[in-house]
Amino acid sequence: MVSGPEWARLSDQEVVLIARAGREAAYRELIRRYERPVFALLFRMVRDRELAEDLAQETFIKALNAIESYRPEFKFSSWIFKIANNAAIDHLRRRELDTLSLDGSPHAETPEQMQATALQIGARQESPLDAVEAKELGGAIEQAIAQLRPEYRSCILLRHVEGRAYEEIAEILNLPLGTVKTYIHRARNELRQTLAHLKE
Amino acid sequence: MTQPSGPHLTPDDLDLWLDGNLSEERQQHLDRCQACLELARAEQEIVDQLQGLTLMSASAGFADRVMQSVVVPDPFAIRSLQTVPRRLLATRKSMAVAASIGLLLLGSMAVSIIWTLGHQTTLLALGSWLLSQGGQLAWLGLRGVASNFMEQPWFENARTVLAHPGRLALASASASVAYLGGVLALRRLLALPTQEVAHANA
Repeated sequence: MVSGPEWARLSDQEVVLIARAGREAAYRELIRRYERPVFALLFRMVRDRELAEDLAQETFIKALNAIESYRPEFKFSSWIFKIANNAAIDHLRRRELDTLSLDGSPHAETPEQMQATALQIGARQESPLDAVEAKELGGAIEQAIAQLRPEYRSCILLRHVEGRAYEEIAEILNLPLGTVKTYIHRARNELRQTLAHLKE
Repeated sequence: MTQPSGPHLTPDDLDLWLDGNLSEERQQHLDRCQACLELARAEQEIVDQLQGLTLMSASAGFADRVMQSVVVPDPFAIRSLQTVPRRLLATRKSMAVAASIGLLLLGSMAVSIIWTLGHQTTLLALGSWLLSQGGQLAWLGLRGVASNFMEQPWFENARTVLAHPGRLALASASASVAYLGGVLALRRLLALPTQEVAHANA
């Protein structure tokens, strides 16, 4: 039987093998190991705590229910980050499609129609959760990250926040190694410029 | 600052510098080139800020909420049998193989039934021959075992002992007691412990 402190000595692959044998504790150990990094990545991608929790939950449910299809020759971290990143990108794409222009619908022909279809920014009441979010994501660097393209954001977060190697990021995002390097350089450049602009 | 040697640092050089793996030659350029030094310092500042970002965690009870929707496999289920239908229907090739095996089995069963219906007399004759041969073999085997017993040196003594009804009853009772004792001992050995053994789960 594996007890609490002994889990730490096991690799992800070993924990997965125990999970496959039907031990619930092994599933919980995998959640414990990746809950924070997966949630942090998703939160910074979608910038909404509640939504990030839903996506993180969806990620773990998808991964753990498909644990039989996980191939141990790959890193478990790559696998779970790939599922999380896909969930975030899918959501951002859907949201992009649903987003209304600040000036109203492009099909509006009269000023009245434009006003009626315009996004009402001030209409939303700020909840206590929004205040927590504002505190968590309110720093200059967080704001600069938010302005990056989603692909750049995934790359830079995985590289410099989660400390993943370039090769692993390429595997997670299903991109060529050169593209990952380019995205990270551009992301750092854009962050530098945005931060300089915010300081002014 | 003296004149820098070689071209300016590339993005790859900057990565190597951030990881502390920049070659000596490129490091010499960096030490002498004001533009590259400023760029490298700015990159380092960005990386430091990224690495210093707040640690974020999901709300309490996250693992429980996930586990409510996760199906933990039953360790006692026969996995290979459970996955047979899924594996059979996985690819076109596996489906074709499964269909061929199925057709072969059904075909051979059909041929067997047709042959049986057309050769009932032959089958009956074969059955009675097998029955008589089998009976003869069984009788021969029994006679062989009995004569083997009778030729044993202890057979006469055992026969004398068991010829007396009182001794026969005593021998039967002793054998029954020994059997019962054996059964009880085995049952005790196989019973689950009623109390948890100290430190067993430590």
